[in-house]
Amino acid sequence: MFAQRMSLQEREKVLGLVLVTPAVAIILSLILYPIIYNLYLSFFDVNPMAGNTYVGLENHRNVVTDPTFWKSVFTTIVYVFSTTIGTTLMGLLVALAMNRKFPFRGVVRSLVLFPYVAPVISVVFSWQFFFDPVNGIFMDLAYDKLGLFSSRFNLIGSPSTAVWVAIAFSIWKNFPFSYLMILARLQAIDETLYEAAEIDGASGWHKFRFITFPEVYFVMGAIILLRVIWNFNKFEEVFLLTENVRVLSVYTYYKAFVGTMELGQGASLAVIQFILLIVFILFYVKRVLKW
Amino acid sequence: MKKWFSSVVLFIFALSLVWAGGQSEAPGESEETVSQEVTIEFWTTQTQSDRMATIQVLVDTFEALNPNINVKLVAVDENDMATQINTAAASNTLPAIIESDTESIVAFGAEGLLNSEAISGLIESIGPEKFYRGALSLNESAEKGVYYGVPYHGWVQGIWYRADWFEEAGLEPPSTWENILKAAEYFYRPEINQYGILVGTKAEAYTEQCFTQIAMANGAQLFDAQGNLIFDTPEMREAVEYYAELAKYTPPGPQTWRARDYYLQGKMAMFFYSTYIMDDLALESDAQDSLTNSNFADLEGKSFDPELVENTRVATTISKTQEAGYGTILSFGIPAHGDELKTAAAVKFLSYLFTPNAYVTWLHMAPGGMNPVLKEMAVNPRFQNDPKGIFQHYGKEKMAEIIQGLNSIETFSIVEGKRMAAASTIYSKQIIPQMIYRITQEGMEVDAAMDWAEMEMRKLME
Repeated sequence: MFAQRMSLQEREKVLGLVLVTPAVAIILSLILYPIIYNLYLSFFDVNPMAGNTYVGLENHRNVVTDPTFWKSVFTTIVYVFSTTIGTTLMGLLVALAMNRKFPFRGVVRSLVLFPYVAPVISVVFSWQFFFDPVNGIFMDLAYDKLGLFSSRFNLIGSPSTAVWVAIAFSIWKNFPFSYLMILARLQAIDETLYEAAEIDGASGWHKFRFITFPEVYFVMGAIILLRVIWNFNKFEEVFLLTENVRVLSVYTYYKAFVGTMELGQGASLAVIQFILLIVFILFYVKRVLKW
Repeated sequence: MKKWFSSVVLFIFALSLVWAGGQSEAPGESEETVSQEVTIEFWTTQTQSDRMATIQVLVDTFEALNPNINVKLVAVDENDMATQINTAAASNTLPAIIESDTESIVAFGAEGLLNSEAISGLIESIGPEKFYRGALSLNESAEKGVYYGVPYHGWVQGIWYRADWFEEAGLEPPSTWENILKAAEYFYRPEINQYGILVGTKAEAYTEQCFTQIAMANGAQLFDAQGNLIFDTPEMREAVEYYAELAKYTPPGPQTWRARDYYLQGKMAMFFYSTYIMDDLALESDAQDSLTNSNFADLEGKSFDPELVENTRVATTISKTQEAGYGTILSFGIPAHGDELKTAAAVKFLSYLFTPNAYVTWLHMAPGGMNPVLKEMAVNPRFQNDPKGIFQHYGKEKMAEIIQGLNSIETFSIVEGKRMAAASTIYSKQIIPQMIYRITQEGMEVDAAMDWAEMEMRKLME
């Protein structure tokens, strides 16, 4: 029939289109549509009961003139910057150590992955118990046993210290991913390179600086990019551990769904967050990854 | 071969579209009777697994009696109820029944989210005169005889305190502003890990519950009888300042009801709590999860103190310029989803929950914490003979006093007998807890925080 009149190449083409259609449809309906609808909502005063009223750029204006928004941008930058540097460096160090030969290396290598695979909620509870001001082991050690502080305090609950706990938590939880990627790359480096360097009289630092580092540079570059994207949008790790760290995603949640629900401003915040991230990615891909 | 393959893919794709399209149910095909098969969702704030299990038993029994009705039990945290209901309303997926604190029920009702006709009909069929007047009137709308929800059970709040410590120190019971502050200051010894009092400092419902009683004792109100917002009064300011002062003697950082554990471990002198605490005080098995784990032998407060129940007393009222009691009635509401079949099924299920067997089973989930709102149930011998032996432990008189307390609960949302719906909205949006959090944790000045709170309240009332 119809199909027989087409050439083999044309039929291949049609089949290809048919095969990608479901995926395209899913992406369009589950990713593109929400993004566009969110963009649309950000220009409205959203009221689920009474309907939406068009307000132009007012939501965006309200958001950027609110000092708490800038405070949250600052918190986000501190959080993303510290956790990205932390997870990458920690991952690199652990990978370098795990690349050497020692007894039970296989067991240790898989144990290091534990924080990354453990469910967030269960480790969050352990951390909360750990830092409880009255019953926690941390205060018991640091205050009662070692006398490091003049009084007990709520490290995980106080707004001023909570962000540092959140950062430490994220580094601990996510460094195994960087470690895994870097270790895989390390194992692929040709041993002869090191041997040649040794003959030329290179020190340990020189070997790292001129062989190891260039070899892992692009892996680390990619890991950093991924980590920035993930942690910039991170919600559950921060929110479950402590509600006091208002990174942009948590701030948006509070703005949109808690108290006086400002759904329009929430949408506008999501748009702004999206733009900030896109700008960073474009800059980074061009400058660091040199694509 | 390829043709065959591509048509299979197309078929699967088409099937998924059909399936997705079938997800939304056609509303409004209704019949008065529940002769058709129907599934209703029941949202409860009883999120603990053992309570869920008990409610599930009631649901199963009901389903066995009514084979056409399926009840799907969903647990919703009390602090998330407002968010969940509002989003469900927006997406047209309202449940058939919700169980929540009366303030929230009234707030939802005032927003037009509840079917007050169906609920008022149910109350009429049970008989309004059988309810405790106070519990029922909390559910009443501005129109007499029209109710947003039907009350089911309730608790009374008070300050629970170490009578033995107070006696030793020669301090008066904490039933006045002055005595509370004095004792909180006296027992606050952070150097030995001992704290004066627990008041809520997290932006949560518990904080508002503690604060309301303190503010009421000073005659502070959110609204006057004409419905004008009168938040910025000297009485309210005094209450906020006093509360911030008490917060200094609370364990460090933002705290909520969970910190009552410190009391059970013998590290605190006073704490605000509902009558739900009665079984934890009296029974080792219930106290277990409040004690520090026995795996950490060096930590204090790991074992159950059998004398704690004898050494604990409760002050259910607080006074400054007047006496104030506080508590919460939990009510059922039927959301206005427009599906009459589901509404009829919901009414049927609620009527079943008011039958003696089901009612007693429900209340015995937390003796002391869950008290009946029907007068005849309060004196029902089966109710008074709870399996945990709480009634025996505290004595019938004490229990009767507590249940009586349900009649005199005061809230910001009823002023001189008039319903202030806006106060319930303010409660469900947790404006006051957020204000207290800013003052006690972020170091905001009382003036600035109160200005902020008033601005938010006015925004809500627009």
